[in-house]
Amino acid sequence: MKKSASLYWICQITGWLSYGLTIIFFAYMLDKQLSLTFYPRILINIIFGILMTHLLRKSMIQLSLRPPTPSHQWWKIFSLIIFFSILFSILTSSIIEIFRLFDSDREGPKNITDHFSWSISSIANNWNGERVNKRFLFSLILDTPIFLVWISIYVLWHYIEFTNSEEVNKVKLETIIKELELKTIKSQINPHFIFNALNSIRALVDEDPQRARQAITELSNILRSSIQVDKVEITSLEKELNIVKDYLALEYIRFADRLKIEYEIDPATIDNQLPPMMLQTLVENAIKHGLGKQPGDCLIKIISKFEQDKLVLVVQNTGLLQSTERDGFGLQSTKERLNILYHGQALFEIFQCKPNQVTAKLAIPISISKK
Amino acid sequence: MPIKAIIVDDERLARSELKKLLALHPEIVIIDEASNVEEGVEKIDLARPDLIFLDIQMPGKTGFDLLSELEKAPKVIFTTAYDEFALKAFEVNALDYLLKPIDPKRLADAIQKLQAEIELERASLSGNQRGPLSESDQVFVKDGEKCWFVKLQDIRLFESVGNYAKVYFDTNKPLILKSLNALEDRLDDHVFFRANRKHIINLHWIEKIEPYFNGGLLVELKGGEKIEISRRQTVKFKEMMSF
Repeated sequence: MKKSASLYWICQITGWLSYGLTIIFFAYMLDKQLSLTFYPRILINIIFGILMTHLLRKSMIQLSLRPPTPSHQWWKIFSLIIFFSILFSILTSSIIEIFRLFDSDREGPKNITDHFSWSISSIANNWNGERVNKRFLFSLILDTPIFLVWISIYVLWHYIEFTNSEEVNKVKLETIIKELELKTIKSQINPHFIFNALNSIRALVDEDPQRARQAITELSNILRSSIQVDKVEITSLEKELNIVKDYLALEYIRFADRLKIEYEIDPATIDNQLPPMMLQTLVENAIKHGLGKQPGDCLIKIISKFEQDKLVLVVQNTGLLQSTERDGFGLQSTKERLNILYHGQALFEIFQCKPNQVTAKLAIPISISKK
Repeated sequence: MPIKAIIVDDERLARSELKKLLALHPEIVIIDEASNVEEGVEKIDLARPDLIFLDIQMPGKTGFDLLSELEKAPKVIFTTAYDEFALKAFEVNALDYLLKPIDPKRLADAIQKLQAEIELERASLSGNQRGPLSESDQVFVKDGEKCWFVKLQDIRLFESVGNYAKVYFDTNKPLILKSLNALEDRLDDHVFFRANRKHIINLHWIEKIEPYFNGGLLVELKGGEKIEISRRQTVKFKEMMSF
């Protein structure tokens, strides 16, 4: 912000100084003898030029007309330009009038180029006598283009800056989205789980055909929901819990006696909405660390309840929290998903709640949930 | 001659499915099974199977941990659901792995290949199963991310590095957590010779022998390593080398 402000002032001052220098240069080229009043006139023009354009900018910002401006607002900018050009001309020509800085001794312009080489007020001053209104009129005609040039540069500058930052933001956003998409896809389907489940099902076909058929249904449900996860933005806790139950039933086939499952679901919460596969990720993580990292038994407990204005989901598993788990891929993407979906309104934490029990807690606002 | 095998997998159903598949191969006899690494190591050391079917992902310890705990690695067929990364850890070794659910045809191929290998080894060796490790025995070496199955005949040198031993074969020099004294006890002393306090050399890999200070010898191995044979060991060495 500070940087752009100082940049503005550098542009303002160098711009107006070069305007003055250009006029002096042309005046020298075309008319070797310059009157004493010429320089003060230029100085007054520069000072009032800076002042008026600065006020123009201020009022544009005040009226929120800073570019890029919607097309229907253009007439406002145009009126502002007219207003400030008039103000500028009135002020400069009156000051010149008051301090009598016009060249009264001169006989009027020698030729056409003379008009343009001289600063606006000097032309006005040279016009048949010293009538203020004429000087003012000339000042207006010749100053308005200066203001138009100024505003064009100003608008163009902002457009370039805007599109640049817009483009950078767009590219950044796109990469973030891609990354997230990739992460969710990767974290949703664990190939290890799918193939192990299929292997158990094949063993069950002979052993317990009824259970094998049921297991195929359960696996289909999980596969379906993990395919749909990219298309559906939000799901009900009830649906999510069904997936979790299917998933745990399949893991139960694999691990049998080692796995104990408990549910503590408040019936009021099951209609609540939440992002799909979010609870599932937590349960998968609990299985991975509770069953996969230690040979003993594992209790998985799933709790759902309301706490103040939040829906709270808790997944507990037997085991020790590893430092790698906290920063693990699945949990990291869960955090990122929550941040994007709830703008920091959701909470997620994982901690060792008992010497041999890990708790993952998720709290999402109820109000955000849509029917 | 039947091939004795042990299945190591933490899932009962996976074991039972594999047994069912193996029923079609009467030459493979399942002598035991284990559901975790500790149990597996115990049973393998006791029963000395020719072959183990080994799952990689198991609770607590992996199949690789099991192999590094074994003194001598039998033939191994890995069974895994999805472990491309773990399997990439293996270098050039011709290693067999089966993806679960196991394709019966792939299993048949793997068994056939293995059978040929085992027959060959048995023919050349008149079964000294309980004795010291023979030249054709393989050991499993794991160093950080990389793993190898190495035949003892391919190892030219063991070098003591603190509590570890550096194993020289091909262009690799991984470390194993074993002392030289422990290795010396297990290795066949007709092939592996304790040159000095720090080195055990494979006699078949000697390229050149030169006299050295104090009546010792300097041996150059085919890999280019120069190893000094201490004075005390030189006497023994000369004895072994003479008729």
